[in-house]
Amino acid sequence: MTRPVYVRAVGVSGFGRFPERALPELCWDALDDCLGADPGRDVEAVYLGNVYGPNGLGPRVVHGAGLSGRPVLAVEAACASGSVAFAQAVRDVRSGRHETVLAVGCEQLTTAFRGPITPQAGDPEGRSGMALPAVYAMAARRYLDHYGVTPDQLAAVAAKNLTNAVRNPRSPRSEPVTVDDVLASRMIADPLTRMQCCSLTDGAAAALVTATPGPGLLVRSSVFRSGGPWGAGSPHVWGYDLVRLTGQAAYEQAGVGIADADLVEVHDAFSIGEIISIEALGLADEGLGGALAVSGDSAPGGKSPVNVSGGLIGLGHPLGATGLSQLAEAFYQLTGTAGDRQLDDPRLAVVETMGGGTAGVDGNACVVSVLEAAR
Amino acid sequence: MTNEQPPPDPRPTVRSRSDGGYEVRGWRCARCTASTAMSVRRCPTCGGPLAETYFGPLGTVWSDTTVHVPVPGRTPPYRIAYVDLDDGPRVAADLDTPPGRPAPRRVRLTGTSERGDVTVAAAEEA
Repeated sequence: MTRPVYVRAVGVSGFGRFPERALPELCWDALDDCLGADPGRDVEAVYLGNVYGPNGLGPRVVHGAGLSGRPVLAVEAACASGSVAFAQAVRDVRSGRHETVLAVGCEQLTTAFRGPITPQAGDPEGRSGMALPAVYAMAARRYLDHYGVTPDQLAAVAAKNLTNAVRNPRSPRSEPVTVDDVLASRMIADPLTRMQCCSLTDGAAAALVTATPGPGLLVRSSVFRSGGPWGAGSPHVWGYDLVRLTGQAAYEQAGVGIADADLVEVHDAFSIGEIISIEALGLADEGLGGALAVSGDSAPGGKSPVNVSGGLIGLGHPLGATGLSQLAEAFYQLTGTAGDRQLDDPRLAVVETMGGGTAGVDGNACVVSVLEAAR
Repeated sequence: MTNEQPPPDPRPTVRSRSDGGYEVRGWRCARCTASTAMSVRRCPTCGGPLAETYFGPLGTVWSDTTVHVPVPGRTPPYRIAYVDLDDGPRVAADLDTPPGRPAPRRVRLTGTSERGDVTVAAAEEA
């Protein structure tokens, strides 16, 4: 059995530094925004995306949200945890297992880490000092040396997304950012400067997924894959092939191509991440993704707007919440409720989230969803 | 009470050779010939059986970076590279080229650091 699946509502908490708040409270903020005054309604099951939270977090969240008794399953897929929670909810509804499922994602990084996320001591690369900025910096260096991507192109991605965030009330940012600003910020992992890196952020987001037709989004596809081996002899930088294969499967299921998309939200945890993602998704040929931010093609109003929300660089990256936050932007844009950053009558969105950090694997998880306005 | 003991060290094992060089312990698949230096039970590429072998002492730098932020147990800036060992796996290694200088293309294994990282230095090939 397969059937149409809809996103009826989305919700987000504030994104920022909230070490004084309990993590379930951030989830309840997102659920209030998503479910409104009638929490629970027809929710039959809950998936909760999270990476660094305590065990038992899922039951605590549903208990305090008035959803007790629903089966709740925690999903950990690194940065893609929230998107995998969403993909699982879509699968349950599409298959007829449930009529309505709630996907929630959350993270509180400010209480877990003082600096960058600590590499895993049980991972051979993590134990070798390969912090996540270094993982992406390796790809960036490779792009600079072998594809002719320039530091200015990397910086243009970050400047675009930080400037996009100015129009997003979820961001505290009030001033546009220039390429020079980005390049002048302190070096984190050569060639990535501070403004090219997402911030340590707390937050939560949610989506109500249902088989009941109505306004919101029609989920044309939501595909979840994990990466194969990656290392010597791999044809591309880390993560490229996983995003490419996941995107191809998502387009095939949806019966569309990337050229049909009116907006794209991609995983820009670091500036090079956006370049790799848009190339792997087919928006640009390999090695040419960096030019889109410089030309303005990926800006709001450009041929292919990318990360109109501000992306992870502009809004922050609370890992478990991120995928559902990206989905929320697609919802706002496709339902005409994106406020000052509203695009001109978009109909189709592509959302991509990528999770990694495991040595030798071309990505822990990737989800690509194709979403259409349901009116 | 939680146990704060770190997990067993997962980094590749390096041993010295009779010629004074170094090599990394790894495994090669008997079916597809893929190689790895990580602890695995079956070939990650095809699921085939693995045979222990050693790789090195030479390799090619695939990419590198200098990390400028603090990571537990390390003092920034520190330089790290992905090195493709000749006919072998890709490993993460400390690169002794000072920050700011271009990375060498070819490198030679030089053992392990005090922290236990695989170390490499620019190779002078004949």
